[in-house]
This record gives sequence, C-alpha cells and structure tokens, in this order.
Amino acid sequence: MKTEKAITRRDFIKGAAGIVLTTAIGSSLPSAGEAETRSRVVVVRDANVLGPQGEINSKVLQSMLDEAVRALTNKKDAQAGWKTLIKKSDIVGIKTNAWRQLPTPPELEQAIKQRVIEVGVAESNMSIDDKGVRNNPIFQSSTAIVNTRPLRTHHWAGTGTCLKNYIMFVPTPSEYHPDGCAELGKIWTLPVVKGKNRLNILAALTPQFYGRGANFFDRRYVWQYKGIIVGTDPVAVDAVGAELLRLKRIAHFSEDMALDVAPRHIQVADQKYKLGNSDLKKIDIVKIGWKEDILL
Amino acid sequence: MKGTSDLWPNEINGWKITEGPVPYDSTTAYKYMNGAAELFIAFNMRTLNVLKYEKTGQPAITLEIFRMAAPEDAYGIFSFENDDPRGSIGQGSEFGGGLLRFWKGSYFVSIYGDAPGAEVEKSTLRLGEQVASTIKERGDPPKILNLLPAGQAPFAKTQAWFLHSHILLNQRFFVAYDNILNLSGDVKAALGRYGSQKEKVQLLLIEYPSAPGADEAFGNFKKIYLSNAGVKVPVKTENNKWTAAEKRGNYLVIVFDAPDSQFAVKMIELTSARLKEGK
Repeated sequence: MKTEKAITRRDFIKGAAGIVLTTAIGSSLPSAGEAETRSRVVVVRDANVLGPQGEINSKVLQSMLDEAVRALTNKKDAQAGWKTLIKKSDIVGIKTNAWRQLPTPPELEQAIKQRVIEVGVAESNMSIDDKGVRNNPIFQSSTAIVNTRPLRTHHWAGTGTCLKNYIMFVPTPSEYHPDGCAELGKIWTLPVVKGKNRLNILAALTPQFYGRGANFFDRRYVWQYKGIIVGTDPVAVDAVGAELLRLKRIAHFSEDMALDVAPRHIQVADQKYKLGNSDLKKIDIVKIGWKEDILL
Repeated sequence: MKGTSDLWPNEINGWKITEGPVPYDSTTAYKYMNGAAELFIAFNMRTLNVLKYEKTGQPAITLEIFRMAAPEDAYGIFSFENDDPRGSIGQGSEFGGGLLRFWKGSYFVSIYGDAPGAEVEKSTLRLGEQVASTIKERGDPPKILNLLPAGQAPFAKTQAWFLHSHILLNQRFFVAYDNILNLSGDVKAALGRYGSQKEKVQLLLIEYPSAPGADEAFGNFKKIYLSNAGVKVPVKTENNKWTAAEKRGNYLVIVFDAPDSQFAVKMIELTSARLKEGK
C-alpha cells in the first residue's frame, strides 16, 4: 500500500508509527489500547454442534448464535437482542468468507439471515457475499453489516479473523498484505463500511491453529472446538480468537510456534485506527455452554 | 483438453478425473485461491492447472500444477514454506498432513486429499510420482543462495530464502512498507538468517539485472533507511544493532541487526569475497 512517507523497520523500532514491533498479541500486549471502555466478547460452545463426521447441526448452531446475541446485548432473548443491532429499515450485508478449504459454514450464514429477517428486514434488502461485495448493490448501499468468517491462521495476516474479512471491499487486497496486513484497520475507515459494522461472528467450530504457506490448508492443525466467538467490537473478537489459536498452539506443540507473520493488524486496529480493544485485560469474555478444553 | 495432457494421468489407483483441468494464469489465479495467489505471482507464476480426482467411497484428490517462469522460481516457492519431512519425488519434495509438495524443473506441484486415510495418501504419493516422471525438464536452485557466506559462530547461517518480492522479504524480515529496494520479478534476492532464535543477524544479497539498477536501489536505501550514511559505514539503529550496506557491480549487500559494527563489516566482506569467487 502506498504510504505518505516510506515507513521502515527503523520507524517501528523508534515507535514513530505509534506501534511497536511485537511477535504476539493478546495477553503479552502492552496495554496501550486507546479505547477507554471495556469490550464484551461472548464465546458459546456446544458439544453437539458437530456430528460424528463433522456435519453441522443447524438447530444447535442457531441456538448458539441466539445465546451469544442474548448474552452480548443483555436482553431477555435473542430476538430482542437482534433488534438492538439491526433496524428493520436497514439494508444488511452479511459479509461471509468463501475460502474453499474452510469457509463460513452455510448453516451459520442461514442462522444469521433468519434472525435478520425476523427483525423485519426485507429479504430483498439483504445479501450474503464475499468476493462480490464490491459489485453487490446491497453491500454498496448497505446501512448495516454483519461480519462472519471462520477462525484460522493466515499466511499474510497471521490470523484470519474479522478485521481481515473486510479486505474484499478494496480493489487490490494485496496492497494490504505487507507486514502482517498491519493496515487492515484502514479499510474499516472507508465509506463503504465505515460505521456500518453491527456484529462480528467468528466461526470457531473447526479452527485452524497453525499452518504454513499461502494456499495450504492443513488438517493436522484443525480441531473441533465447537464454538463461536461473537461481539460488536471486531478488534476484541479478533484478539480473543487470536489468543485461542495461540493457546491451542501451546497446548499442541508445548510452545507458541511462530506463525508466518505475527497478527499485528489487531493491535494496529486498536492503537492506530481506534476500532476497539486488542488488550485482553480490557475484554470481558463471557463463556457459555460446553467448557471442556475451552482454553480461554 | 481433459485427459489429453502429458502431465497428468486420467486415472490413478481407481481415482479418475472428475473436474478439470481448470486453467488459470497470473491474472486469474485470485479466483481460485484468493490472496494466496500473490505468493505464486511473486515467484513468477505463468500457469496453474487444477484437477480433481474422485473414487467412490474415498476422499477426492486435488492436483495443482504450477508452471513458473524458471526452475529457480519453482524452487523458490517450494522452499519458502518448507515445514514437513522431505520426500524423494521430483527435485525436492515434502509430505505431511496429506499434502504433497514438490518441484521439478519449472514446475511446482501440490497434491492433497480431502480427508485422511491410508489409501488416499498412498494414491496422492503415487500421483505425485507419476506427474514428476512426466516432467522431463530439470533445473538448478537459485545460484544466489550459494553466494551467502556461512557466517561465523555464534552467527552461523541457519536459514535462507530466495525471493523477488518486497512483500515476501517483509514477511521474513520487515524492512519497509514501500519497495525501497526495487525488488521485482527480474531481480533475484537471497535472505540469509544467522544466529540463534534469540539474537539474529540478517544478510540480504540482491542481484539486479544491471549495475545502474543496483545503483538506484542503493541510493534509495541509503536515503530512506541509512539517513544518507556513506558506503560500508555501519549505522547504529534504534535497537542498538548495526546495519551496513555495500554495492558491488550489479549486487547490493545489506546486513541488518549485526551485534557490532565490526561484525557488520565482516559480513559485508565475506559476502563480497564470495561474489568475487562466484564470478
């Protein structure tokens, strides 16, 4: 990405860009987040959401999403909770992720869509899309975006999480790849998305916690966590997701194996773009449901 | 086109082609692999053919055959991400988690089954052997890698990568957001890592197509990174480490994060000596 001034390694060392070089995020971050308020992230797990062959139980997943929205919004039920997030007059884009190896589960997309319809949004005023968002009239005129994708490690970004999921809103995504996609937060300031994000849902049913290379799905490092991670603060949701992957690497390898790159973009989104809290000390993690090997 | 290529078989151990070959080039590869395409394009990818093989009751097998501009690019993409036990297919291979990767000549090939299983893994390897045997071309790894010195204890060389792209350089060692060293498809670079996990020195050797190209990049680097410091004069950077750079003909040598100025100069001299020997 073209920057006003050539930002170099030395600038980072000096802290001139406001960010220090770091190799990890989460609990090891300095508490330099600008957001004064705390963020709430809900982790819902259910042992029955996946069948013996990994097939998704749609009803269980729908109830997990309901429980997450209820807990997130502090309302008596999910329907009331959704109404605090989406208005029936909204034009809603459900930004999904279609990576063929580990896509957003269609069952999750439908669960979101169902609840948005129940708020009163006309089906003609909503769309589910990933690669086509820049040419999708619903997304281009949207007033609200629900952001959902699977949780995994990522060659360019360190972690593939909610902040990364907006990269399809720019014409040349590769311009955001340098330095662990550090500047992903900038995308969130563009008019097509700015101020529209209402909910972020990381599918952590079968996250991938480690991997090498750009195109290489590696099933050795995928496990059945059977969870979703939900919040209105995308940075906090991503910080919790990245921390989960980090803890799983430690559990699996007995150390935090280095990723292709560190997920710096999460910290930069907090400190530079003020999009939310990356510091776990400022995040209230609400855990609901199945607790076995929850890690967090 | 189905079944007519010399590069892939129609059938392997009962798995038959059910999709493809679907051809891509450097402008369409994004449709197949999203942002991952950038890695392959950075190694001068020319074409990609994707085929799916299926057998009743067994996981599908996907075959991806990348043709790169030159053998050194095929080696580059293969070696950039080595992580698994080495195999004996092609000119270099590894197999892990059901994924086979190998290079031979200008080709980089990856093959994987959709799910684990002894039979599908056996067929994945067999398919790899067959594709490798049909590729008659052979090639050499990038010669520039041999120009990196071995280093000195405790800073012996531990890893090295071949690359053309500043984005890939930044992934292994962040230098600058912008392409201040003018890396591109016709520029060859080798990044060597020296020392321990705790303390690392990086040596970047870049071969430009011409001496003026090296001059321009050196000028950029001095101006932007070294604050106009002179040739071969190490600069103490903000982490109390030392950076030095020197241009030799169409080569640029840069040492980052040396523990002291003498070491930085020594690394430059060792590399210059190898350049002299190599010519």
